[in-house]
Amino acid sequence: MTSLPLPDLGALAVAALAAFLLAGLLAPFETLGWWAGWFGTADEVNDSSDAEVQSDESRPARSYLVFLSGIHTVAGRSFAVRERAFLERLHSELPETRVVEVFPYSVTNRALTGQRVFARFWRWALARKLGRRQLAGLAGMLINLRNGWQVAVSADRRYGPMYDAGSAELFHSALRQAGYPVAGGVPIVLVGYSGGGQIALGAAAPLSERTGARIDIVSIGGVMASPRTLHGLGRVVHLRGRNDRVARIGAAFFPGRWPLVRWSAWNRAMADGRIEVVDLGEMDHTGRDGYLDDETRTADGPSFMALTASAVARLAREAERR
Amino acid sequence: MPSVPDLIGAALRLDPNAFEAMVVRPDGARLALAILIAAGLSHALGQSVVLFAHRVRPGRFALSLAVAAVLFAASVAVWGAALELVGRFAVGGGPRLRDVLVVIGLAHAPRLLGLLTLTPYFGSGFGTVLTVWTLLASAVGAQTIFDFSLAEALVALGAAWLVSEAVGRTIGRPLMLLARNLTRWAEGQSSTVGGGAG
Repeated sequence: MTSLPLPDLGALAVAALAAFLLAGLLAPFETLGWWAGWFGTADEVNDSSDAEVQSDESRPARSYLVFLSGIHTVAGRSFAVRERAFLERLHSELPETRVVEVFPYSVTNRALTGQRVFARFWRWALARKLGRRQLAGLAGMLINLRNGWQVAVSADRRYGPMYDAGSAELFHSALRQAGYPVAGGVPIVLVGYSGGGQIALGAAAPLSERTGARIDIVSIGGVMASPRTLHGLGRVVHLRGRNDRVARIGAAFFPGRWPLVRWSAWNRAMADGRIEVVDLGEMDHTGRDGYLDDETRTADGPSFMALTASAVARLAREAERR
Repeated sequence: MPSVPDLIGAALRLDPNAFEAMVVRPDGARLALAILIAAGLSHALGQSVVLFAHRVRPGRFALSLAVAAVLFAASVAVWGAALELVGRFAVGGGPRLRDVLVVIGLAHAPRLLGLLTLTPYFGSGFGTVLTVWTLLASAVGAQTIFDFSLAEALVALGAAWLVSEAVGRTIGRPLMLLARNLTRWAEGQSSTVGGGAG
């Protein structure tokens, strides 16, 4: 019996590095092409809106909360079960707040499963991942890689301003669909989970310019760089679990977050109290024991998800009172 | 005679033999030009965020990249010519201009990876690495062809850069203006008249 030759580990590592770099090289083109107008006008692009709204339209909203998922999603409708449950809990905790969900890793607002060229591939990846079938791990990794590079685009000083302008346009459009008044002024809270934290922080300034509202942010284990500007930014509450290595690595990855760099916007905002880091105890980044786990409970009784939702709701209520 | 990929690989590894082999190749000048045009294209693509920021249309984008590649090759050639002048002054005589140009052309092989500067967040770091890499390759090339020490080669390259800058700001000013206008024309902007800040 002949056995198949084992793949050369060195060649595999080079292929993986090449794929990683290729994904990075391609990552900015959606933003750049959108900015240069290569993909049609903003109105044409917004026709394919993927935003979802959880709201009771019969009552006027006292504030608007935009939820930006982690990098594991391919579309607003593909939010994980835990995220769905979390949003439902937020909705019940904040009955007078309109909760809007947006897929934040595409400035052209094209869910990965709705793209012209790669839709079939991303649908395959999503099915593998959700069905926990063969290659589910690889599929999940590819989705994370693709969206992770979009987080890097937002954090990049060259592309970031364009990406963030696109995000702000996207969020504003989703807010308007959810009934946000043209005159603006109603409080807006951006809730960014994981990489969504960077997207929220980047979009705050241009969104504030569009709406005239001060933008508050809740980061749930956010992976984010120091913001380029503090303009239009209200409060930032960074929720962090002690077992969340992803958020810790994220903080180490961006020099503007290092305590030594006292002049960075992040550290200036920390010093004046605008950014508050809240310790959520023994929580992990995701999955079991993660921020959105409704089964694991704290010593005081509430589940991890309930604690996270309460922290988000607290900031939303404070934003309404201001 | 080593193949072109082997030659480029050896230059990337800063192997002095690559530069010696380049000088004796009958097609050395054409190969150096091809490397410079390809490196110029890759470099221009790496820097293309400026074109997108100016909202350049796809046709103009391609034209701008082509113009940038030609200008890149021309600027390296000017630097190479300045190096030949500096070398002649330093060692009295020295290699032919053609040989200096083919060596400096090959030394720009690291710029073939200029595209990598597009990478989000890490791109600027890649750009710095490529600049240092190109400088080191140029130094090894200058060492090989002029029989300089590494320190002498680096000083000669610095002096050549000063000469090329001086030429660009004096007798080469009309050419600099032409290059700037060519770039603006490719991007679809109106041309400037006069020399600018210089």
